[in-house]
Amino acid sequence: MNAFETMAPADGLTRRRGLLVPALILLLVFAALPALLAGFDKGYFYQIANLALIFVLLSASMHLVTGVAGLLHLGHAAFYGVGAYTAALLTSKLGLGFTVTLPLSGLVAALVAFLVALPTMRLVSIYFAVATLAIGQMLYLVMLNWVDFTKGPNGIIVSKGFELFGFSLSGRLGAYYTVAAVVTLSVVAIGRLSHSYYGNALRSIREDDQCADAMGVSTVRLKMEAFTLSAFFAGIAGSLWAHMTGYISPGDFKFSESILILAMVVVGGLGSLPGAIIGALLLILLPEGLRALGDFRNIMVGLVMFLSILLLPKGLLGEVSALRLVRRQLGAAWRNTGKGEGIGWR
Amino acid sequence: MFDPYYLQQLAIGLSLGMTYALMAIGFTLIFGVLNVVNFAHGEVYTLGAFAGLVLISATAPPIVAVILGALAIGALAGFSLERLAFKPFRRFTDEASLKSRAMRESTLLSSLAVSIVVREALEIVFGSQMRSVPFEYLINTPVRVGPVILVTGDFIIFGVAAAMLIGLQFLLTRTRVGLAIRAVSNNPLGAKYVGIDTDRTIITTFVVGSMMGAAAGILMGLYYGAVFPAMGFTPGIKAFVAMVMGGLSSIPGAVICALILGISESMATTFVSSGWSDMVAYGFLILTLIFFPNGLFGARRERV
Repeated sequence: MNAFETMAPADGLTRRRGLLVPALILLLVFAALPALLAGFDKGYFYQIANLALIFVLLSASMHLVTGVAGLLHLGHAAFYGVGAYTAALLTSKLGLGFTVTLPLSGLVAALVAFLVALPTMRLVSIYFAVATLAIGQMLYLVMLNWVDFTKGPNGIIVSKGFELFGFSLSGRLGAYYTVAAVVTLSVVAIGRLSHSYYGNALRSIREDDQCADAMGVSTVRLKMEAFTLSAFFAGIAGSLWAHMTGYISPGDFKFSESILILAMVVVGGLGSLPGAIIGALLLILLPEGLRALGDFRNIMVGLVMFLSILLLPKGLLGEVSALRLVRRQLGAAWRNTGKGEGIGWR
Repeated sequence: MFDPYYLQQLAIGLSLGMTYALMAIGFTLIFGVLNVVNFAHGEVYTLGAFAGLVLISATAPPIVAVILGALAIGALAGFSLERLAFKPFRRFTDEASLKSRAMRESTLLSSLAVSIVVREALEIVFGSQMRSVPFEYLINTPVRVGPVILVTGDFIIFGVAAAMLIGLQFLLTRTRVGLAIRAVSNNPLGAKYVGIDTDRTIITTFVVGSMMGAAAGILMGLYYGAVFPAMGFTPGIKAFVAMVMGGLSSIPGAVICALILGISESMATTFVSSGWSDMVAYGFLILTLIFFPNGLFGARRERV
């Protein structure tokens, strides 16, 4: 009998409840929202919905590295940009479709992240934050100034919309379903990563990396893995963005975007995946809802961030309550299989 | 090698480096007393420049008054910044929470949030476009020195920066206020125990640091003749780089590294287009972090 069993008993009730909330969320994302969108039938609403979903993925991927592993990452938007540019260049130069560019964008972003992580992952705390800031700015400068390759500030037109093995999904509803499906799958993957023994190892780095090191957790390797994985998902988000808007330019991937993603994770609650999702929805939908305020909506982003740090230091949905929610309601509780496997690396 | 062109680039690099140095000192002082990074420092630079611009368009005073006005606004900005973004997160003063990561990160993010609000507010009031400084205030009258053509701005920036550096050195080493600042940055808790008002010292540090940042802003605004709400971002990052290169807590180190940065950047523009010259600073930063993690001039640190 281990401690986790008493925390979340794996009886029939929990298991059934564990299916209810995911089913409701899926119903909302794949049936209710598209029905609403189709009811209004305005391109603008589709744009907002897709944008919000893409930022949910970005925020979730940053949650993995900043929330769970506790590494302050100030250059996340650059990897999002690497993914978007990979998709755009593959489409415009080689004429490849979305089915091919989606995984490739993620892989290229992950590869770039892995290469820059090799020398810098040994740094801790503020030094790490500074290094990621510099890396992000360097990647941004490459996008901006390597005019022969990236067309610089003019940006690239992405001529192809979404498709799946040749079937075009570039209609409004098709695009929404593609984005929603990719984002949902990725968020589930990130959720499985952060609510597992693997996620706990990352949390141990955040709490005390020297102690974790002494306990036999390979901190440098885990940091690199978390960094690379988060860049992979950021690259996926970039590919979605490129195919969704049909036009990308370096301005979409500058420092302020990194800060916006960071603000989402912080407002939602560091270390909490549901919080990161709520934060992303809040910071994308709130400025759109406040469109009537005109120029003041950007100030609102700063104010929301400031007030939430001041008044809700744990975020809208703090880590502890988020963990409880995920374990109880989303069926992610650890279950002892009874085969004597015990606690360990999976 | 003795092409006068290089000498000219060297002079431009020195003026650039001097403004970075003024900014970097603000960063270093604040990092010294609070052990946190003040991300709103770039906005103090912008505020200084805008204060000068408003003064010029309102009353057209002599240039000395413009700089003094910018300094006053800088001091005010530093004071309110500390009260708004840093004081509320210092509720607990025991050693554990002073060193805790959560404290450090919440002030980092709160200063970031304040900087967003300030920048957007400036954009609403003044518009996001560049605003040009009236012609008679521009400090770019050419002056011929031997084979090199300099502008008056190079001398003014060098003079003002040197005066402020000497003033800072005097303040830090010859006055009780400076002694308090050094004591707090050495050991905040110890300083408190011997009767130093740490809260007031922290505010003084913010005021002094922000005055230097605002001075850099107005000088650069007059030098280039353009003032805009996002102007503080790049110098802010450069100054930050200089601080890290100098070893985070060493003022002479930060000044030397800021000069190195300024000079290498202006030299780089002779070989590559100006868009790529920012790469120099970031490259320096990464190389420093990898090979000299204690900074070039910093004291030994336990962990990096």
